Amino acid sequence: MGLGSFHFLDRPMFIGAALLICASFACGQPSALDLDGHPVNPLAADSSKVVVLVFLRRDCPVSSRYAPTIQQISKQYADRASFWLVYPDKSESPQAIRQYLQDYGYHLPALRDPEHALVKLGRAQITPQVAVFDRGHQLVYDGRIDDWYVDLSRARPAPTTHELEDAIRAALAGKPVAKNEVRGVGCYISDLE
Amino acid sequence: MLHLRPGMSSPLRGVGWTLIVLAGASAVGTLSGRPAARQSSSVSASVPAAQATYNRDIAPILFRSCATCHRPGEAAPFSLLSYSDVKKHARQIVDVTQLRAMPPWLPEPQKLKFADELRLADSEMNLIQRWVEQGAVEGDAADLPPQPKFVEGWRLGQPDLILTATQPLTLPPSGTDTYWNFIFPVPIKETRWVKAVEIRPGDKRYVHHANILVDREGSLRQRESQPGAGFGGMEIRIESRVFDPDSHLLFWKPGTVPYVEPEGMALRLDKGADLILNTHLQPSGKPEVIQPSIGLYFTPHAATKLPMLLQLENDAKLDIPAGQKDFLVTDDFTLPIDVELMAIYPHAHYLGKDIQAFATLPDGTKKTLIHIPRWNLNWQAVYRYAEPVRLLQGTKVSLRYVYDNSEENPLNPNHPPARVVGGNRSRDEMCHLWLQVLPVNFDPAQGDPRMALQEALARHNVEKNPGDFEAHYNLAAMLQAKDKLDAAISEYELAVRLRPDDAVANNALGAALVGAAHPGQGVGYLQAALKARPDYFDAHYNLGLALAAQNDFEGASQHFRLALRLQPQDANVEANLGAALAEMGQFPEAKSHFEHALQIDPNQPIAKENLDALQKATGAH
Repeated sequence: MGLGSFHFLDRPMFIGAALLICASFACGQPSALDLDGHPVNPLAADSSKVVVLVFLRRDCPVSSRYAPTIQQISKQYADRASFWLVYPDKSESPQAIRQYLQDYGYHLPALRDPEHALVKLGRAQITPQVAVFDRGHQLVYDGRIDDWYVDLSRARPAPTTHELEDAIRAALAGKPVAKNEVRGVGCYISDLE
Repeated sequence: MLHLRPGMSSPLRGVGWTLIVLAGASAVGTLSGRPAARQSSSVSASVPAAQATYNRDIAPILFRSCATCHRPGEAAPFSLLSYSDVKKHARQIVDVTQLRAMPPWLPEPQKLKFADELRLADSEMNLIQRWVEQGAVEGDAADLPPQPKFVEGWRLGQPDLILTATQPLTLPPSGTDTYWNFIFPVPIKETRWVKAVEIRPGDKRYVHHANILVDREGSLRQRESQPGAGFGGMEIRIESRVFDPDSHLLFWKPGTVPYVEPEGMALRLDKGADLILNTHLQPSGKPEVIQPSIGLYFTPHAATKLPMLLQLENDAKLDIPAGQKDFLVTDDFTLPIDVELMAIYPHAHYLGKDIQAFATLPDGTKKTLIHIPRWNLNWQAVYRYAEPVRLLQGTKVSLRYVYDNSEENPLNPNHPPARVVGGNRSRDEMCHLWLQVLPVNFDPAQGDPRMALQEALARHNVEKNPGDFEAHYNLAAMLQAKDKLDAAISEYELAVRLRPDDAVANNALGAALVGAAHPGQGVGYLQAALKARPDYFDAHYNLGLALAAQNDFEGASQHFRLALRLQPQDANVEANLGAALAEMGQFPEAKSHFEHALQIDPNQPIAKENLDALQKATGAH
């Protein structure tokens, strides 16, 4: 799925549609849903691209403050990496997420992950956190975007390390990622269970 | 023989006080907004293994210490009012409480208690942790205390006057923190006394803190590109011509409940005063519109108790080498009179690490006034003492601030670290400690006790830093106010030597020399002041007086006319211009200026006296 081709449809959600599609696609397996309720597997689409999942929560200020950074990095690698915003909070409504995307100026596809299918796949623990999959769709990095936040009370004036970009570049070059896992600062996904 | 005295008895202009007020300062505010009722925590050390529940154990802590901000419409990013709210952030709450990042309360516990202390007891912190480890269970609904009640809207009821920023600021979605100043002209026709101020900083979620300063002479308006536009900057400086440090700390941070001044105290607002709201804003990830407002509550009672802000500082010592981890700066000031310490406000920027202030009493006893072992500018605050702290004459007040300019300080504005010096920008450093004190046990016949404090402070600053222009200037102004003219002149001379092009200092020195009957020596300084600032009303007026005192009435009348052009409704200038004209025999014109002076101010003494003399003299001719 190319970045430019994604549209947010402002029509009522069809619960029935999700069930119908489920009959023909990965049935029985928990799956992430797009904002219309359709199951989506971000790793099943375009295998020529690196895939980046960005785990977010609307009620997590750290994750919200990263919006400009995420936008900027996704734009920079738009032709080589697919970015997906993933909302693991099952109580988040598609409508609230649409509003959030609009408020924060996001132009990226968003998924709900109420069963934590992508959370498990991407080994996500907090928001914001990213999972980077190489072109073979192997997980090569999970962790923080950069070192902007030191802890929940202190952020640096600017980040000094850039783990997400490092991982994307390594994955694009087919090289091993220096650090596969760097714990970040934010809000726990396990608090949502 | 005509005998007119050009108005030498009228006050000299601009002789006075450069009150340097930094935005870091000024503010009062209670620090937490919790309901008054105290609830004892139900922690019980004797039953450590008991199952902790939300309803019985956790809700009382969170309702008291968190819910003020963690509720809809307040500063916090999410609510903590119900089990499901709390469950969704349970481990996060453990992390931030263990870090002591939340509730935001920087000082260590100490003997001198602060009002509205927002610090969790260790037992409360541990209970929250145990509750989460035990599975964060909800428990019996019967154990849940009633929901905390909060006042909606203005906390103290409808204010007597509401000021709203005319031009909101749009905060960009990203970038470093923004420091912005909003100017609020106060539309009052006469002096009013303010008992309380409520600051509504705009969207509370993005305003980290805000301070109000009083600009009595509208001097900061010139920094706006257009009226109402506001201006950027972390620290601001206000000059004031009168000795009037109003000394009320008007501070807002998340959770602040408006502070009502104690009995006898009030903030004076005069016609023409501006309130300056200095805000620290943090980008949220999306553009935010910030439109603050201020609610004022008046009292008919003028203040009878006049506190004062004492500033300890040592910015001159801030020259911190790159990489230095423990850079110590100190300042010690001995109180010349007895005071009650009401509030304390430490201020440093991003390199500040360990911030400490203490008092050494005359008997040698040491009292910690505040100790913040992990300074965080983002949560700076004014701390008020639960009870005023009496500090007797001879008490030494000390600050000890330690700065970390190493790579290990994550808030270091430079990466890699670089040399940092004192200054007003957020990447510079500061070493300030404000103390709000109320003079006590003084003899009113000896004059305003705050002047003794101010003079002692200015002497201290001059000794500490002989190159401190403002200290010399302020000391001179204090001496002049006490009629110690010769001593004042020497201090002004030192100030002018430090800043030969400073209009204010040259004017003050020139005026002091005129006042000391050395008008010939004053002329040069007054001319220097006018060279630096050609539209300087005070300097034109004073130069007019200096020239008149040397019988140069032609020159005097020129400068009085220039002063009048700047302030056409000034009775003193009119009276003096009339006197100069009369000296030159230009009686009809002199008369019209005297009459205009009396129109502006029917009691203008020089105009009255001179008009009488003129009428007698011309009648006698």
